[in-house]
Amino acid sequence: MPEMPYWKKLWILFFTFARIATLVVGGGYAILPVVEETFSKKYNWLSSEELLDMMGLVQTVPGIIACNSAIYVGRRVAGFGGILAAAFGVCLPSVLIILTIAMFFPDLNPENPWLLGAFRGVRSCVTALVTMAAFRMAKKVLKSWFEYTIAAAALILVLLCKVEPVYVILGAMPCGVLYAWYKSMRTAPAPDGGKDGAE
Amino acid sequence: MNLSTLFLVFVKFGCISFGGGFVLVPILIAEMVEKRQVISMDVFGNLVSIAQVTPGPIGINAATYIGYLQGGVAGAVLASLGLVFPSLVLGPLAFYSIARWKDSLPVSGMLKGIRPASLALVFFAMFLFMGMSVFTARIPLEALFDLVKTGTASIPADFRLSFGGLTIFLAVLLLMWKTKLSSTILILLSAAAGALLCR
Repeated sequence: MPEMPYWKKLWILFFTFARIATLVVGGGYAILPVVEETFSKKYNWLSSEELLDMMGLVQTVPGIIACNSAIYVGRRVAGFGGILAAAFGVCLPSVLIILTIAMFFPDLNPENPWLLGAFRGVRSCVTALVTMAAFRMAKKVLKSWFEYTIAAAALILVLLCKVEPVYVILGAMPCGVLYAWYKSMRTAPAPDGGKDGAE
Repeated sequence: MNLSTLFLVFVKFGCISFGGGFVLVPILIAEMVEKRQVISMDVFGNLVSIAQVTPGPIGINAATYIGYLQGGVAGAVLASLGLVFPSLVLGPLAFYSIARWKDSLPVSGMLKGIRPASLALVFFAMFLFMGMSVFTARIPLEALFDLVKTGTASIPADFRLSFGGLTIFLAVLLLMWKTKLSSTILILLSAAAGALLCR
């Protein structure tokens, strides 16, 4: 296959991510199938293994998952220009749609009782979505006493002590490092393969 | 909030949100609703509801909307830009270094600490959302302290159970558990049910 011109790659990156941001409601994992279809199957720019790696990585670096995915794919395909094209593609549709809504509906506080009821209904639905997401995430994250302790302490801090979430996240980092260090100290002195190591 | 504060606050959010939209929600509430009071809890709830039914990442949608309220179109663009700015700058670097050093003690330890703390934030978001869907006001957790200290607790007069909200919440949980309906369909159904039940 002849090498595609650079600007065309940028256009495909921009257009595909704009399409993902416009059509895929809900974000997160929902974008994976479209990314796979376009970039692995159609253009062969990324292997499936790379896509799986990407799904793990985009959750461990800070920022929005969809945007991080765009940055990852953009960099692999077309370097720095690719990053800008893909990230711009992810953001543009949302910004335009929400700007339009905000201009016509600036206080989001309707008087109409039917509309108020509909909003309460949607908020209840979002509560259920958040609840499901929380328990699904708990099943993946809570593996040992360490995760339970950090999660419980963090929840008490934000919920009852009104500590800002920023500090909870920042405070959890050194705890994790200390725990990893403590575990490595306990398992390291066993030179014969560490059969009795924790885990 | 002036435009530069707006931009910097969203840069901060972009730096500390790990793992997707629902982690960003409690961070936004802490800063925008509780600390700076630029948006009320009800309006914020409606905003997240709209962000759920419109395409695009929740974070970008919320940034655009809050930015527009604070500084018009320029505010909307600056807030969204601020949110993705850390990913654009740090993303490629973080992808590289996390992939390279993910088995090293400091990096794996940090991630080990961040994950349960982010999980706690999602549970925190769940509590906050219950206060604007299943209940009619924020859940008065301070009452727990009074209960322990004095044996009696005063519950605010505007805090009541919303039967319509609770019904929709439980129905959506059941539907998510038993069927594979997409979240868009669930939200549209809930809006219709809310208009009928929650007036």
